[in-house]
Amino acid sequence: MNRLFRQFSVNRRRFLGFTALTLSGALAFLFKGKAFGTVDFRKNDNIPKNYIQNRDTPGFFIRSANPFPGVDIERWSLRVGGLVEHPATLTYEDLFHFKRVSQESRLKCVECWSAKAHWEGFPLAALIEKVRPRPAARYVYLQSADSYYESYTLDELLKPRVLLVFRMNGQALSPEHGFPLRLIAPFKYGYKNIKYITRIDFTDSRKQNYWARFGPYSVDGTIQPGIDHPLDFNKKPLPINGGEVFHFFDKRPT
Amino acid sequence: MNPHAGRPLFFLLIVLLSACSEPAVEQIAVTVPENVTVPPDMAYIPAGNFIMGSPKDGRTPGGKTVRLPAYLIDRHETTRRQYHAFKADYTYSPKKANYPASHVTYHDADAYCRFRGKRLPTEAEWEKAARGTDGRKWPWRIFFQHPNNGFSGFIPEPVDKRDGWVSPYGVYGMGYNVWEWVADWYDYDGMPAERRKKFKVIRGGLTQTHLSVGASPTWFRNYMEPDKRFNFIGLRCAMDAGKTELK
Repeated sequence: MNRLFRQFSVNRRRFLGFTALTLSGALAFLFKGKAFGTVDFRKNDNIPKNYIQNRDTPGFFIRSANPFPGVDIERWSLRVGGLVEHPATLTYEDLFHFKRVSQESRLKCVECWSAKAHWEGFPLAALIEKVRPRPAARYVYLQSADSYYESYTLDELLKPRVLLVFRMNGQALSPEHGFPLRLIAPFKYGYKNIKYITRIDFTDSRKQNYWARFGPYSVDGTIQPGIDHPLDFNKKPLPINGGEVFHFFDKRPT
Repeated sequence: MNPHAGRPLFFLLIVLLSACSEPAVEQIAVTVPENVTVPPDMAYIPAGNFIMGSPKDGRTPGGKTVRLPAYLIDRHETTRRQYHAFKADYTYSPKKANYPASHVTYHDADAYCRFRGKRLPTEAEWEKAARGTDGRKWPWRIFFQHPNNGFSGFIPEPVDKRDGWVSPYGVYGMGYNVWEWVADWYDYDGMPAERRKKFKVIRGGLTQTHLSVGASPTWFRNYMEPDKRFNFIGLRCAMDAGKTELK
């Protein structure tokens, strides 16, 4: 009897396993490329055509962590708060009231390539003058319209050539490049250069950033010495010494 | 017969094999002259020839023989605790007191060494301390894969962490951990005149491309503007042999 029961139970286990395998296979076929409740955005085919995930923009590659339709400027605002004396909410038009600074700098992606552009915007110091961070504010936490987030030390954002940017190559930022407002910190990898900024908070402790949570990338994100593959040099490998990338054909700031 | 009788021997074998995975670096026997005092945290490098640069890299001396007088060099990179003693507003976590000082400019590094009664090493002194006299590519002679390979970003570590990764003179951190300021300008044969005397040489840190992290060869020259400060640049000091006025 026991022997019979054991034999049956083994058969039952095999039967249930086989059934589960068959069902899961059938479901995987029916919902190919999709996970239950979510869409697998790792496959380009699954990204709706009106979403931003163009990987072939000439002169630049675009990598969006969370594809989304882009910012509706009528509903967009920049909230600046945290440990500040005067929290502020800015509209797109308000960005044009800051004294504009421009520079040419290279965006260096952690995935090897770099590309150069002319950026226009204003330094964080201009915003600081407006909101007056308290002495305890040593870190800055930035959030975006596409659910991305980044963190910096305040000192890093006050370095020369770090800009809050709203124009690129003589035009308003395109949706692919972070319209209406993005950060350009040329000595940090591209993933630190957050796009579609909606909120900036001054804090007394370091918050985590998106890619340190989901990928093998450091919170710090300083560009390390190594090899770059500039898109304006046919991706031919060139050595970089660390920090902001300047190749032999790039003009260094004076 | 007890089927598990061989297990202790097996585990002992595993332990021994693990211990042998990074063989100790053979050290050059050094005789210190009687009139020279060597502080315990410095290595004495005797006078003599060594091979500098690599024929594979035209921006190095190309593998030529260079003669240096005797000198002393710090066994470890300057720590955060040591640098704080020089600059009180340089803050660090007590848990990382033994990590290399970083975010220092060339001028900061030069001032720190002078404060200690030392000086920054020349590039030739740094390279000889790293590779000894046989022209080796790696201070520890054979290639080791860096354990942080697969990560993008710089992760500093205690300056005395890796006993297996020392030079033939017993100097740590020559090719990994932070890059180190040395005294020389980054100039080389054929360098355009307008670029000369703009960059200082930095030596012996990690190179990184996307998810690969690797040590830099003993002859590898990197460069940086002297007023820049980054998390991946630190320092160590040197001094002439025979000088004993340490602070």
